[in-house]
Amino acid sequence: MKALNRRKLITASAVLAIVGLASTAIPAQAAEVGVSSTQIKLGMTLPMTGTASLGYNKIPGAAKAYFDYLNANGGINGRKVTLIVKDDRYVPTEAVSKTNELILKDKVMALLAPLGTANVKAVASSVNPARRGVPVLFVNTGFSGFADVKKYPTTYAVLPSYIMEAKIMGEYIKENFAGKKIGLLYQDDDFGTDALAGFKAAGTKFAVTVPYASGSQNAAAAAGWITKFKAAEADVVILFGVSSATSAMLGVAAQLKYAPQWMLGSVGGDATTIKLTGVPAGVLYNAIGFSPVPATTDMKDEYVKFFSDIYAKAVPGSPFDLNVLLGMNTAFMTAQALKAAGINPTRKSLLEAIDSKGATFANSALVPAGYSKTSHVGLTGYWVGKYSPTGDLAPIGGTYVTYTTDSGSGPVVKSTYKRPAMPAKGLPN
Amino acid sequence: MHKAKQESTHLTMFILGGVVLYFLSGMVDELRVYQGATIAVYVIAISSIILLTGYSGQVSLGHGALMAVGAYAAAVLRIEFNLPIILCFVVAVLAAAIGGALLGAAAARLSGPYLAGTTLALAIGLPSLANQFEVLGGEQGLLFDVGFPPLALGEEFTQYKWFFWIAALAALISMWVVRNLLNSAYGRAWKAGRGNEVAAQLTGINTARSKVLAFTISAGIAGLAGALLAMTIGTVSPSAFPLSLSFAVLTGAVLAGITTLGGVILGAVVLVIIPELADVIAHRLGAAESVTINLPGLIVSGLLILTVLFVPNGPVEQHRARKAKHSALLGGTHKKMQ
Repeated sequence: MKALNRRKLITASAVLAIVGLASTAIPAQAAEVGVSSTQIKLGMTLPMTGTASLGYNKIPGAAKAYFDYLNANGGINGRKVTLIVKDDRYVPTEAVSKTNELILKDKVMALLAPLGTANVKAVASSVNPARRGVPVLFVNTGFSGFADVKKYPTTYAVLPSYIMEAKIMGEYIKENFAGKKIGLLYQDDDFGTDALAGFKAAGTKFAVTVPYASGSQNAAAAAGWITKFKAAEADVVILFGVSSATSAMLGVAAQLKYAPQWMLGSVGGDATTIKLTGVPAGVLYNAIGFSPVPATTDMKDEYVKFFSDIYAKAVPGSPFDLNVLLGMNTAFMTAQALKAAGINPTRKSLLEAIDSKGATFANSALVPAGYSKTSHVGLTGYWVGKYSPTGDLAPIGGTYVTYTTDSGSGPVVKSTYKRPAMPAKGLPN
Repeated sequence: MHKAKQESTHLTMFILGGVVLYFLSGMVDELRVYQGATIAVYVIAISSIILLTGYSGQVSLGHGALMAVGAYAAAVLRIEFNLPIILCFVVAVLAAAIGGALLGAAAARLSGPYLAGTTLALAIGLPSLANQFEVLGGEQGLLFDVGFPPLALGEEFTQYKWFFWIAALAALISMWVVRNLLNSAYGRAWKAGRGNEVAAQLTGINTARSKVLAFTISAGIAGLAGALLAMTIGTVSPSAFPLSLSFAVLTGAVLAGITTLGGVILGAVVLVIIPELADVIAHRLGAAESVTINLPGLIVSGLLILTVLFVPNGPVEQHRARKAKHSALLGGTHKKMQ
């Protein structure tokens, strides 16, 4: 009797599994997956909930705001661009399963702007977009490895790498703070390892370096860091960490009236995010910061003005910050890539379009992108600015001074790059 | 004699289950095959919780960490020594079991909230240890490549089908092992210790040793689940083993019925299918993004509350109990009529 019941149970469980597994039908294939006569489907996974989502969860809204504008103005050769967004909670397992859904069930043409090095690596290994020929456009991570065409043939970086940033910081220090004692706060993982490699390449010597473990950053830890920087009499302190580390450090420094010359890495340097944690704007005043795209408050910049106008209409009340600007810039570049991929774009023609024309795609960045057949490196540098009394990053003396370099042993040079004018009405031409 | 017959019935059933899964994997599309592999991984992880919590009465909020131990052990061996994949899985079990034995030795002195707190700390702390050792690949993690399916299976045989076969076979074997362990003298000793520790000791059971053993075996099974999870996502990194993974496995165990192995597939299916189901519902209703994102959590929480309120031992156990009561009642009436 007992055995019979158990058998029934197993049968019931098996039936449940079958029903669950087979409940969705497979839609018919078009000429190219994700491209119909009326629309082009793109997919995005990123943290929309959880601790890592702060700030980043504005990216999909920003990208959609631009695509809606594009669609209202004729789309790409009459096709509307649709963006399907899934929450991966910054967990690789989730990123893999959501990406599988995007590719195998939603049948998107390409993946757009996935976030986080571990997630993108897991997707590359398990889902293997390269084998499936699925383009992975403009990944949101500074890990230099994703520019490697041999390892990730369909993946394109967009942000400058952490190594590039550290090299440019090192060059700026050489030019402006020679002979000063330099201190460095960095995250004790690959993010920090890349930074150290960049500073080494730039020949920067530190009076003190303070590592912190990811997740350990808080006010109590910050008090400890300050003791170390004070003991070493550091004149310049570089904060090369995530936003929460920068915020903890600046918040405690304000209380203790500790005020060296701050230098903020771009990862933890978004003023809006820092100020949201209660850090007084005045503490940021005169700190040095780095960014590849124009200052978000620079309304004289045609892209910033254009993007902020569209965003204000699409998401009223939401502040226009660096995440929004980067999200819209990515969508802007994607639109050009799709247009360049021909009248009937395919995954293959999209990849070829970025390889051959990607370096000339118009976008808001003040530094050039390095796309070619042999490299998928994204933006290649930063401009250096100072934070204003209201805590916003602005170019020193009102002019953008940009530096470019690579992730290897190449030199850091002042860039002569002249950004092309924005295409008419902000639409791809 | 009767026991031997029962054992062979179980074995036949598990083999039959394997045959059904084999044919099923050829009938569904690639996404379902991938989800099937994930379900198999959860089945293993949940059965390790059922053994530990349901039978031995010890609470663990840190099984995600033990899964991480297994995953890292397998990945490091694969990368550093290029060991055959089966050996990597065996070592994953052993490494996690050693971790579990150490934890179990400490756990034997703890109970209730103290044990929950200790294992919780482990779940939070252990995975980020990987950041401290270069060999473990830091935040970005390590690749864990089990290799392509054998060519003999044909060119159409996808990587996910290969993952599914490996995970499903592992799930069938581990369920068979756990099932038999729970029906053995060890299982009875765990149950006795859970019911009343003093009484169990009076019958001659060394409850401390029995608890450590339960922790060790449960950890070993969790290690296998971890290595298989790493296989399905192709990498191992600290962020793949968040605190939420430990909670998800525990949730699956409660939904399955924590004191019975019978509902384990149900728990695993719920964990994998609910997010997708929520997505479909939200889109049918044309719900806002904030609703779409939070709906899976809401449904799982709702199910959890309903389970605890109405079927605290899980739907399967409840059904079994009702049937047993029904047949006892029928038997009673039958006797009276005679």
